[in-house]
Amino acid sequence: MKFQTIVAPLDGSESARAALPVASTLAQLEHAPLLLLHVSERPLPARELAEKLGLTREQIRGYVLDQTTGPPADGILRYASEQDAPLIVMCRHAGTANPPDVVGPVAREVVIRAVTPLVLVPPERGSRPWSLRRILLPHDGTPTTAAAMDPAGALARRAGAQLHVLYVAAPGTERPTEPGTFTTPRYLDQPQHEWPSWAGEFLDRMTALGHPPADLQIRLSVATGAAGEEIVRAARENDVDLIILAWHGRWEPERALTAKTVVREAAQPVFLLRL
Amino acid sequence: MTAGEGPLLEPPPTTPSLVPPGSLPLSPTPEAGWLAVDEGFDLAREHEIESIFTVANGFVGIRGSLAEGSALSAPAAFIAGFYDRGSNPESVPELVAAPDWMRLRIEVDGQPLRLDHGTPLEHRRILDFRQGILWREWRHCDIHHRITAFRELRLASLADRHVLLQSVELTPDNYSGPIRIECWIEPPATSPVPSDTGSPELLTLPPPPEPPPPGWARSLLLVKTRNTGLLAAFAAASRLQMVDGEPIEPILETTDEGPSHAWQFHANIDTTYRLDRLIVVHTSRHSDRPADAARLHLDRLLSTGIEPILADHLAAWQARWHAADVEIEGDEEAQRALRFACYHLIAAVNPEDERVSIAARTLSGPAYKGHVFWDAEIYVLPFFLFTHPESARSLLMYRYHTLPAAREKARTHGLRGAWFAWESADTGEETTPRFAIAPDGTVTPIRNGEQEIHISADIAYAVWQYWQATGDDAFFREAGAEILLETARFWASRVEAGEDGLYHIRHVIGPDEYHEDVDDDAYTNTMAQWNLERGAETARLLAERWPDRRQELLDTTGLDPDEPEQWLDIAARIYTGFDPKTGLFEQFRGYFDLEEIDLAEYTPRPAPMDVLLGRERIRRTKVIKQPDVVLLLYLFWDRFPAHVREANFRYYEPRCGHGSSLSPSIHALVAARLGDLDLAMRYFRQVAEIDLADNMGNAAGGVHAAALGGLWQAVIFGFAGLDFASGRPTVHPHLPPHWRAIRFPILWQGRMMRFNVGEEPWKETKT
Repeated sequence: MKFQTIVAPLDGSESARAALPVASTLAQLEHAPLLLLHVSERPLPARELAEKLGLTREQIRGYVLDQTTGPPADGILRYASEQDAPLIVMCRHAGTANPPDVVGPVAREVVIRAVTPLVLVPPERGSRPWSLRRILLPHDGTPTTAAAMDPAGALARRAGAQLHVLYVAAPGTERPTEPGTFTTPRYLDQPQHEWPSWAGEFLDRMTALGHPPADLQIRLSVATGAAGEEIVRAARENDVDLIILAWHGRWEPERALTAKTVVREAAQPVFLLRL
Repeated sequence: MTAGEGPLLEPPPTTPSLVPPGSLPLSPTPEAGWLAVDEGFDLAREHEIESIFTVANGFVGIRGSLAEGSALSAPAAFIAGFYDRGSNPESVPELVAAPDWMRLRIEVDGQPLRLDHGTPLEHRRILDFRQGILWREWRHCDIHHRITAFRELRLASLADRHVLLQSVELTPDNYSGPIRIECWIEPPATSPVPSDTGSPELLTLPPPPEPPPPGWARSLLLVKTRNTGLLAAFAAASRLQMVDGEPIEPILETTDEGPSHAWQFHANIDTTYRLDRLIVVHTSRHSDRPADAARLHLDRLLSTGIEPILADHLAAWQARWHAADVEIEGDEEAQRALRFACYHLIAAVNPEDERVSIAARTLSGPAYKGHVFWDAEIYVLPFFLFTHPESARSLLMYRYHTLPAAREKARTHGLRGAWFAWESADTGEETTPRFAIAPDGTVTPIRNGEQEIHISADIAYAVWQYWQATGDDAFFREAGAEILLETARFWASRVEAGEDGLYHIRHVIGPDEYHEDVDDDAYTNTMAQWNLERGAETARLLAERWPDRRQELLDTTGLDPDEPEQWLDIAARIYTGFDPKTGLFEQFRGYFDLEEIDLAEYTPRPAPMDVLLGRERIRRTKVIKQPDVVLLLYLFWDRFPAHVREANFRYYEPRCGHGSSLSPSIHALVAARLGDLDLAMRYFRQVAEIDLADNMGNAAGGVHAAALGGLWQAVIFGFAGLDFASGRPTVHPHLPPHWRAIRFPILWQGRMMRFNVGEEPWKETKT
């Protein structure tokens, strides 16, 4: 997966501008133009747009400043759909308070309706520069999630980053029923033999199904506990820069609980990859 | 899928063969109970399918890989005893993957015939237990809509263990056109298991100077292990012929991959072409000149043709099934699972080689590095003991030949006698890796090699069982007695006299490996007690019946004639943890004071309990990995009154996390004997699924020998209730309601007895 365009929606708030360092770095890695998008009820004169978005000349150098009209989510999605292979990079929520629904109302609409991948950036990141050295890819062992190995691996390759695949065994949850799913072994007869075998098999299967770059170094680890909390913990403890979450595109109250926890709790940008 | 639900692989084929019969002289066995069938193709499962569909004969095992390969194929052959060592001082010997001898490349007018090119219309792999053959049936449509029918037969001869055979039929269904077929022997693909040794070095030899029989192409390939310097020679002959027997001339090519045989021909529509490949394998373990041995052996076979090889192989399997088949009436899944187990057990052993045993994953995969554990004696050996005693004897002779290493291990620890290695390879030296590295990078020291000492008594137990069942005095006198004496001597030096006037065994790991460094493990101590008693009895028997041999052993081992008396004294005063008031064994000192964990709260369980709770936490709980006291109940069933058996099973069974593939079979067996048939069936299905369903996630590295042997024991000693308390085989059946009957043979003291359990009264016939 290669992104031809990076779209970063901004509304003028400081929170929204937290997406800029991430979008900027991703644009460099993808050799793609970064389009800074403002959506409003009526278009602003070009000279006023940067000021409205709170951007200095320095901050917009090399990027395209664009705008469209309409409700914010509609405008973002429509604009993105007009681009070639876009990646949306936006703040999790504007404003200062944590929204009740994990993400702000605009981001929520975009998450639910976007067919393109998007990156949600926690506003707490602020304007600190962002680099991509370590990517965390939570994996439930299903062939569906294995499909994320390709884009995650390709991004890791372009960034020279390490890809860290995390499997979480969550007590009390049923194993996925998808054929070909590979989960933690039920039996560990002799761990000195079992774990190397298991790890080798997990990576063999998932790379055969997901086709990441052949010579990419992949680190695999296993955690136990609630999936969302463990992903957040692993990201924190391993100094991860980006979490890539494969998900099924359902954001109803009872769905995507792991993704919601990660988006809400993680200090890192979260790349939502709809499969 | 949870235990007790779900199918075991696909249901057997109910439709005729996908491929019309051609010139192969055989077809798959028609009865479903003799077949494991994998319909279609699921790339993700390929490694486990390769393990499950292994063909083997105890000398060599070949994974059930696709001959043309796939993105996830890990084809390999494993030769028993073909170990190599890494150059790293920390590395341990491992069974190396030998070259893959059945590689094929087929091109139809330049288009590769592969599952990932074009569209497979139908695809099926069939493991035929009765005939010891892997079948493959496949109809494939390429991108130009040409349909090709493919049928393959693959076997490792049980009659002549050096011989491997692959026959392929190819039929263009709807086209005529150019076809190229190439076959070669390929170095093994990257092992899914990290390996310290690397692949063996390939040494290509020139083909033999003598001309091959008309139509055949021959080649010779030699591989050499990098550090142990073992040689394995593969002599190969290939022939492609039309259905009327007219051969097509081969092209002999040599590439970087080694010698290959190729054919380029114009194929006619609806015409079948048959490729036969005959491979003979010899190693330097048995021949000074393995290449010559393989070449000459191959030439002898070529002079007689393929059909006698097939006939001898089938006859050998027929003979083995005659003495081993267990018929379960009323439960097709159980029937198939049990035959699957028996098939892999028969395929795992070589009664002609006393220097090898059965590894944890047999010859079906690279996991566990080909190492031999206590499973071989306690879980696997009983199947052979009662169906093919020659094989059981061979397995015990492996231990006999490793006695020097066991003595040395004891000596280096300041002990006496024989302390067998927890993990053993070619020499019997301890080969247990010293560390385990979990996927999160956590490095855990592995103490089994130092503390899981019950293996010495397990081996002694198996020796005694063999002698009891066979009456093989020659074995007992020449080999078994020495094992019994030396292991008893080990225990006498390992126990510690306590202030309580009893003997204790401290700092051990019992079968329940969640609790390390414990004192007075009930299983270990009771097995040691038994071993000491049998050691003394052995000394007495030698004195009475074989005084010359006794004197010889006294001379060679330095055994003091008074030692056996001391053994009896120790045995009488060894602490076992048994409380007569409650009827319970305490699994080890302090076990009853540990934290209770309700395992139901961890259901469904995504990982073993030690992973969920962590290594340190689980040691502080009563959760056990696998049967410890419950295994003791089984092995010494008649020593314990019924209320003791019941009390201990009911106490320990709910506390078992079944974190080992060795666990459910023994629980099934004991539950059946106690008459708890629902519970027994639940465990039976759980163990039956370990490989066939692979919902445990680790069949890719090979099938689980202990689970296979445990399944057979659960049926014979559990549901059928076979025991020897009366001095002869007797059954006390506890059949599940839907099992109408079990019929099985048992070899006892050189006679075959056939039991028909389920009819009242049960029938026994002698043949």
